[in-house]
Amino acid sequence: MAINEQMLKSIIEDVLKEMTGATAAPVASKAAAAGKVKLTAIGDAKQGTASDEVIIALAPAFAESQTETITGIPHDKVLKELIAGIEEEGMKARVVKIYRTSDVAFCGHDAAQLSGSGIAIGIQSKGTCLIHQKDLFPLSNLELFSQAPLIDLETYRAIGKNAAKYAKGESPNPVPVKNDQMARPKYQAFAALLHIKETQHVVQGKKPVEQQVAFI
Amino acid sequence: MKSKRFEALAARPVNQDGFVKEWPEVGLIAMNSPGDPVPSLVIKDGVVVELDGKARKDFDMLDLFIANYAIRLEKAEEYMKMDSLEIARMLCDINVGRAQVVDVTTSITPAKITEVLGKMTVLEMMMSMTKMRAREIPSNQCHVTNVKDNMVQIAADSAEAALRGFDEQETTVGIVRYAPFNALAIMVGSNSARPGVLTQCAVEEATELNLGMRGYTAYAETISVYGTEQVFMDGDDTPWSKAFLASCYASRGLKMRFTSGTGSEVQMGYSEGKSMLYLESRCLYVTKGAGVQGTQNGSVSCIGVPAGVPGGIRAVLAENLIGACLDLEVASSNDQTFTHSDLRRVARSLMQMVPGTDFICSGYGAVPNYDNMFAGSNWDAEDFDDWNVIQRDLKIDGGLNPVTEDAAVAARAKGARAIQAIFRELGLPEITDAEVEAATYANGSKDMPDRDVVADLKAAEDMVARGVTGVDFVKALDRAGFGDVAASIFGLLKQRVSGDYLHTSAILTADFKVISAVNCKNHYTGPQTGYVISDERWEQIKNIPAEIDPANY
Amino acid sequence: MTQEQMLEQIVKQVMSSMGTVTASASAGGALTDADYPIGEKRPELLKTPTGIAFSDLTVEKMISGELKSEDMRITPETLELQAQVAESVKRGAFARNLRRAAELIAVPDARLLEIYNLLRPYRCTKAELYAIADELQNKYGATINAAFVKEAADVYEVRKRLKGDN
Repeated sequence: MAINEQMLKSIIEDVLKEMTGATAAPVASKAAAAGKVKLTAIGDAKQGTASDEVIIALAPAFAESQTETITGIPHDKVLKELIAGIEEEGMKARVVKIYRTSDVAFCGHDAAQLSGSGIAIGIQSKGTCLIHQKDLFPLSNLELFSQAPLIDLETYRAIGKNAAKYAKGESPNPVPVKNDQMARPKYQAFAALLHIKETQHVVQGKKPVEQQVAFI
Repeated sequence: MKSKRFEALAARPVNQDGFVKEWPEVGLIAMNSPGDPVPSLVIKDGVVVELDGKARKDFDMLDLFIANYAIRLEKAEEYMKMDSLEIARMLCDINVGRAQVVDVTTSITPAKITEVLGKMTVLEMMMSMTKMRAREIPSNQCHVTNVKDNMVQIAADSAEAALRGFDEQETTVGIVRYAPFNALAIMVGSNSARPGVLTQCAVEEATELNLGMRGYTAYAETISVYGTEQVFMDGDDTPWSKAFLASCYASRGLKMRFTSGTGSEVQMGYSEGKSMLYLESRCLYVTKGAGVQGTQNGSVSCIGVPAGVPGGIRAVLAENLIGACLDLEVASSNDQTFTHSDLRRVARSLMQMVPGTDFICSGYGAVPNYDNMFAGSNWDAEDFDDWNVIQRDLKIDGGLNPVTEDAAVAARAKGARAIQAIFRELGLPEITDAEVEAATYANGSKDMPDRDVVADLKAAEDMVARGVTGVDFVKALDRAGFGDVAASIFGLLKQRVSGDYLHTSAILTADFKVISAVNCKNHYTGPQTGYVISDERWEQIKNIPAEIDPANY
Repeated sequence: MTQEQMLEQIVKQVMSSMGTVTASASAGGALTDADYPIGEKRPELLKTPTGIAFSDLTVEKMISGELKSEDMRITPETLELQAQVAESVKRGAFARNLRRAAELIAVPDARLLEIYNLLRPYRCTKAELYAIADELQNKYGATINAAFVKEAADVYEVRKRLKGDN
C-alpha cells in the first residue's frame, strides 16, 4: 500500500515550521480536507440508558485538526462505515469526542462507561481503533486493531457491525486481524508524529463531549 | 533525465523504511538532546533533595520514586563527582571488573548515566556489554504465536523452538480470550521437547498475573514502565502500582521482569522534550527501584521510532547497556520488525549478538513472520539457518543450535500430541489427528485447518472459571501417557516453592538446575575469561546440516 | 545450549573462585550466594506453606493427589532467605521487593489482584487507599506494604492521580 504523499508532505512541512519556530498553520486547511463531515459539540456526553446504543469515541483531533488516517482514508468515510455497520445490526450509534486522552484504549474505555449497552468503539485520527466493554480493564478490549495502516473501509464497517453484535449480547466471530510486519518500518515514525499532533489537542480533565455529526 | 543508478537505489528495500529528521522539542531525538537535564544529586540527611537539576518540591512521580528507591546513596555523591568520560572508560576497560563498575553505575543518576553512554561508540558499548551482562552464559528467547491463535501449532512450534535452544519462550494472542489456551500450549509444547523451558503469555497486566498464579505460565515480562509521568498514566499504572505488581509475582514465587524501551514516550505523545535514551534511563531506574530483577528493553515495539532518527540503533544498544550497568537481567529486544532491509536487520542485531546478552532476542520469532502476533520480529523461523551460520562464521554463541529435519518433525509431533491429549483429558474442544498431523509438518498457520473459534473461546473461559490449574495439567498429561511432560510441568511448579529462579537472569537446565547471576556471575576481564565457548558447544554450533565432509566429496 | 554446557560453565566458575569462596552460612547467620541455589544446596531450609519438606515434593505425589495447588507455594521464610542471598550479592532493591512479597503471600489471589488494580491511577480516593493500607497492616500484618500504599496515596494526591482527578 502506498503511503499518502500529500499527507507526508504536510507533516514534514509542519515539522519544519515548528523546528524553525514558526507557528503551525492555523486550522485554515482543515475545513477543506474535513469538508465531508462536520462535528458540532452539543454539550457534555450524558450517561446513556438505551441498551441499543453503541458509542463511537473519537480521539481529540479526529475530523478536526486531522482529517484522514495514516493511509489517507478521509475521516468522514471512516465514520460513515462505523455508523453503517452499527445500524446494519439494528442498533444506534452515538458519537462523542474524548479530550482527556489521546490513547485509544482509554478513549474506548471512557466511552464504554457512558454507553447504554456498555459497548464503545474508540478511534484515533491515524485510524487505530478498538471495541471496548464497560467492565473490562482499560487496557484490555474485546477486539483491537492496532495496525492502523492495515485497516480499510470494509474493516471499519465490520468493526461497527461487531460492536453492535456485542451490544446485543451476541458473541460474534472477531473481525479477522490483519498482520503486516512491514507496517512498522514503514509507518511507525510517522504514526508517532501523527500521535504527537493528536496529543497536542488533549485537554487534561475535560469531559467527553457529545457530537452532532453532519455529513455534507 | 532520471538517473538509472538512483532508480536502482530507490527500489532497494531500505528505501521502503520511514526516516525522520530529529525534532528535539517533541523528543524525536535518540541521544544527546539539548533538552536533557544536566546531572546533579544533592543528599541532605539521607534524603535526595535534588535530582538532575530538579528540586524535591518539583519532583514528578518518577523523580520521587527514583530518588526514594533506585539509587544507592552511600557513595553516590562521590561517584557523581567523577567525570562521565572516566566512567565511560571504566565501562569498556577490560582491567576494571564488572563488580567495580556496578558499584559506580548503581550509585549515579539517570541523567549521569545517559551522559556516560553518550560518550561511547557502539564498539565500546559492545566491549562493555560482554563484561556487564549479569549472567556469564548468554541465552536466547523466542516468540511462538500465530495469526489463528491455533494452539496445536503453538505446541508444535514451541517444541521445535525448545529443541533449537531457546531457554525462554513467549506467546501472545490475536484474540485476548484465547490467552489460557495459548499459555497452556506453549508451556506443554516447549517442555515436551526440553524440560525446564520457561514460558510466558503477554497480555494485560492483571490478566497476566492471574495466568501466572494459576500455573499457566512460569514467568512474566510484559509489565511495561514508561519514562514520563503522563505516559505512565496512559499505560494505566504508576511506579507504585507497578512495584506492588512486581511483589505480587514474587509472592507467588514467579519470575518476572519489566519492559521498557526508547521511543515509547514519543510514540505515546508525551516526551517532555527529552531524548529517548534519557527517558529510557528513567524507566530502568524505576525498574531498579521497584526491586525487579530484570528488564526487557531495546526499544522493543517502538523500534520504528528510534530506527527512524539518526543514531537510533546506537541508542538501543546504549539502553541495553544501561540495564546491565544497573545490575539488571537484560532481555535485549531484537524482537520486532523494524526494517525492510536484511542488511539493517543484521547490523542492528550484531550489537547484542556479538557481545552476548542475558537474552539476545526477546524474542526471536520461532514462526514465519506472518504468524508473529507481536507485529513481526527482527528474526523469524525462516532465518534459523542464517542465525546458525552467523554463529558458525563468527564463532559466537547466539544461544541456538542446528537441528535435523527428523528431530524437528519428531519434536513437533510430540508437542502436538501432548496438547491434543491434555485437551481430551480436560474436556476441551477436540483436537483432531488431522490437526496434529498438519501442525507436525506445518511451516505456518496457512498450513493449518481452521478451528471453531467461538467454541474454543467459550471453553477457554470455562476452563479458567472451573479453576483448572497447573496441577490439573500435570495429572492430565500423566493420565494421557505423557509422564515425562507431566514431570516437566511439575518441575516448573516446584520452582515457585524454592524461589531460586526469582533471582537476576535465572534460567533452568533440562534437569531443573537454576543458572543465574548469583551462581553464574560474569567474570570477564579480557581474552580467555568470562564466557568461553567450550569444545563441545563449538562442535554443536559448527556442525550445520548443510556442510559437506571433504573426505567424502 | 545444553545442560552439560551450562554445568561445565558453572563448574569452571566454581573452580576459578575456589580460593575466595565464602563458607556457607553457619546456623543463625544470614544466607549468602554460597548457599544458592537454596533448593540444591540447602533444601532442608525449605518447606511449603502446608509444612511439606521441599525434598518431599515429587511428581508422583502430585499425580496421586497428595500434592495440591496450595502446596506448591512459596513461604515468607523462603522469600526472606532469598532476600538474604540477594543482599549478599549487593542487590538491596531486589531484596526489598522480596520482603514486600513475603508479606503479600497471606493476601488471597483475588484480593491481591483487586489491590493492584486499585493502586492504578484514578481508581481511589486518598481515604480509600489509606483504608487498603490499614487492611494490609491489620488483616495481613503487611507493615512494609501498608507504608508503601500510604506513600502512594500521598504522592497521588500531590500529583492529582486520585479518583476524580482524570
